Amino acid sequence: MSEVLLRLDQVGKVFPPTVSASQRLGALWRILRSGRSGEGTPVLESISFEVRRGESMAVIGANGAGKSTLLKIITGVLAPSSGSLQQQGSRAALLELGAGFDPEYTGLENLRMNATFLGLSQRQVDERMDDILSFADIGASIHEPVKHYSSGMVVRLGFAVVASVSPDLLITDEVLAVGDESFQKKCIRWIEQYLDQGGTMLMVSHNMYQVQKLCRQALWLEGGRAREHGDVFDVTQSYLAWHERQDARDAASGSGHAHPELYGVSDLSVARAGDDYGGDGDDNSGEDGSVQCSGEPRLAMGEDLLIDLTLRSPDGRAPVALVGLVRADGTPVYGVASDHDDAVARMVNGEFHYRIRFTDLPLLPGGYVVRGHAMDPEGLRVHDTAEVPFTVSGRSRELGLVRLSHRWGDQ
Amino acid sequence: MKPISHDLEFLGQLIVRDIRGRFVGSASGWLWVLVTPLLLLAVYGFVFGVIFSARVPEDLDVPFIAWLAAALWPWLAFSEGTLRGAQAIRQHGSLISKVALPRHLLVIASTTAVFLLHLVGYALVLAVLAGFLGVPILVSGVPSLLFALATLYVYALGLGLGLAALQVYVRDLEQFVPTFFLFWFFMTPIIYPPDMLPDTMAYWMMINPMSNWMEVVRAGLFHGQALPGWSDALVMIGSAVLALIAGGWLFRRLSPFFEEFL
Repeated sequence: MSEVLLRLDQVGKVFPPTVSASQRLGALWRILRSGRSGEGTPVLESISFEVRRGESMAVIGANGAGKSTLLKIITGVLAPSSGSLQQQGSRAALLELGAGFDPEYTGLENLRMNATFLGLSQRQVDERMDDILSFADIGASIHEPVKHYSSGMVVRLGFAVVASVSPDLLITDEVLAVGDESFQKKCIRWIEQYLDQGGTMLMVSHNMYQVQKLCRQALWLEGGRAREHGDVFDVTQSYLAWHERQDARDAASGSGHAHPELYGVSDLSVARAGDDYGGDGDDNSGEDGSVQCSGEPRLAMGEDLLIDLTLRSPDGRAPVALVGLVRADGTPVYGVASDHDDAVARMVNGEFHYRIRFTDLPLLPGGYVVRGHAMDPEGLRVHDTAEVPFTVSGRSRELGLVRLSHRWGDQ
Repeated sequence: MKPISHDLEFLGQLIVRDIRGRFVGSASGWLWVLVTPLLLLAVYGFVFGVIFSARVPEDLDVPFIAWLAAALWPWLAFSEGTLRGAQAIRQHGSLISKVALPRHLLVIASTTAVFLLHLVGYALVLAVLAGFLGVPILVSGVPSLLFALATLYVYALGLGLGLAALQVYVRDLEQFVPTFFLFWFFMTPIIYPPDMLPDTMAYWMMINPMSNWMEVVRAGLFHGQALPGWSDALVMIGSAVLALIAGGWLFRRLSPFFEEFL
């Protein structure tokens, strides 16, 4: 096991009340007497974890969960109210928006100052100046005061300085969200290289894709407490699932105030066209959805796929149906909504029935899922979702998701 | 953790930045360092020397304006140095809430920058007084002068650190401290000789260490006294060390919580 760079043991933080003069005086007196700031609003409670050299950990959580406070404690800007923090290694660099830049001074002066914060001597700064400037790539603006910079330029400069230092512990707080596409890629390449060479990173991000790409571990903070800590995929997945439940609840409470019932999916069924489930003529036989009972529908490549979707509406207006095909791992293949094609629903027993047929199914063999969504009549928001998995069988060595019509040779 | 040389380099950079920061955007920045105290000198010289016909002590034969200048620059360095040091934390609040830098260096840099600037002005003024105006300024008093300035610097550092830490918590100090320093200025024998104070106020003289500094500076420059007397030296060293210990303790105790109160 490599050495522990950072160890937090039951770290907690309480922000003392600082509004009125008497509260401030009281806090002053308590700090002078006991070295502690006393009661207040707890923002972090008993956080414990270790980061070893070469590890990368993400800190995720909703806004106000205490992520930035935690980073401030780790960098030493804030003192923990309880618990202890041990840090090995000389250099921890925090990258966040406008970190340590004085807006009145030019980029160059701030660059020098910042590099000195991070432990470079003036000579080292001079040696690395060209690298820093070319990494930042902000041209002559380096001689302008930082207050004239765009937020992207500030991050460019900050990142360039940190990149030149190669800190023992790199701490980033949502910086990648600001730079433009190409700079983001440059930063991610640099971070990957830094991690490959044994660098250690703590990262706060709301971008789960970046988190999964760059980190092995994740810590999920909720309300100042560690809700989950462990492998990055486990933690991010439960975090995202939590968000989805949260969204569903919000959507339910948000749209339900006028009509207690939502636009919903009553039934979704998938069938191979031409089998017992029905062709164009005999709709009535298919209404009971007999196919679902016989396990996962299977069809061969090139057959017709028939999807029946029954939606309910609380107000008698026809909901928009959205039908999507995704591969079993969630990769989207195709999606289409009834309002794209001006398809009209058929009323059956007060519900809205949509049928869609994909002819000559070009999906390559594999597992797929049909998703049927109920949207509001304006087609703006998805209110309900149902899924039915199905399998496409066939003998084909083609690669990818779908067969594209093609022709070899000159004609 | 980090080597001291790095802290020193960082301090040097902060000082340079502080000095430059005062002149960014003003065309003749360096001139103002000299001009502002000179204007002050002219005003005090006119009001007290001409209108109130203040006199230098009986046993001296120097113009009032020269006698005033000798004490005015050290006072300005001290008061401005302390006040700017005291503001340093509030002034750099955004930096402090982002970067874990040695916070005391911000105070030290501000105070040091003021002292350096006024030292240059002081040296120029003394040179002009002695060289062009023929004021008898005695070189033999230089060791005493340097001792006074060095202890004064430490005294200002200590007060600056303590006040800077307290100001973060007690905002009222920002209003109160400058006013107090104005009061302090007039209660110190700078524009008047100490023997002009009524006997009933001798007690104030006893507890105001700044009068010792002013005495020692003038005794050095105009009487050529090479070293301060024991009692003066004791008061000066004692005040400086006491201020530094108390200010340093306050700062160390309070600085971990700055971010929450800024």
